[in-house]
Amino acid sequence: MNIDNKLDALKKIKQVEAPPFLLTRIKQQIQNLGNAPAPVKWKWAFAASTIIILALNFSIFLTRSGSDKNAGIETVVSSLHLSNTNALYNE
Amino acid sequence: MITAEQFEQLYNEHQKLVYNLCLHYVLNPEDAQDITQEVFVKLYQRFHQFNPQAASIKTWICQIAINQCLDFLKAKKTNKRFGFLTSFFNPETNEPIEAALNINHPGIAAEDKEGLENLLRIIYTLPGNQKTAIILTKIEDRSQKDVAEIMNTSVKAVESLLQRAKQTIAKKLTNTEGL
Repeated sequence: MNIDNKLDALKKIKQVEAPPFLLTRIKQQIQNLGNAPAPVKWKWAFAASTIIILALNFSIFLTRSGSDKNAGIETVVSSLHLSNTNALYNE
Repeated sequence: MITAEQFEQLYNEHQKLVYNLCLHYVLNPEDAQDITQEVFVKLYQRFHQFNPQAASIKTWICQIAINQCLDFLKAKKTNKRFGFLTSFFNPETNEPIEAALNINHPGIAAEDKEGLENLLRIIYTLPGNQKTAIILTKIEDRSQKDVAEIMNTSVKAVESLLQRAKQTIAKKLTNTEGL
């Protein structure tokens, strides 16, 4: 089988005109671009990311609120033998 | 930014090219119209990105149209693949949804219909880049140099794509004619 001869038959396909209403449809879509609502996918993505950020914040807030916030500073102060009182003289 | 007059001129000069290119990919006028519409909307939005030094306006428009067609076909294939999750039947008529490709190319004369539709059905199943190479060289009758520019590749690569496409088409034609 000569495939090139077979494929040459594709040249018989004629060019056709686009429908006349197409330009009006395109112009209408371009006009609607400015006031188009946000796509649903974007809305869902925004909602999901907001929920994730809130959940992360909340979980950090809950885990940190029970622990001793000054533990790190206390360790540094005691290891350097610093005074942690406001008294000027140790009497 | 392109003005309304410039856009209309752009449309009038290239609508036939885009519409016919889309028709060769999707093989029916309804989808070709929808894709042509999307292509011109994209052209309107991206006109500021067009670089005349990089490519001619015709090449740029062809590239956008081809990408739009391939994206459409990919989306259609994905829908078909996962369609069983939604329904095997048309919700309105309750009839089974047929997976067969319906070809309705207005550029095909009645006497050539059977042979050409068989050939187009095979071309439709080719991978995207092989399909583009065959459509541009064999249906659009462009030179390999033009095709290479549109596909943003080398002439050698286009030759190789055509060779592989022809092998696949020959094999599938032998199978269908042998039946």
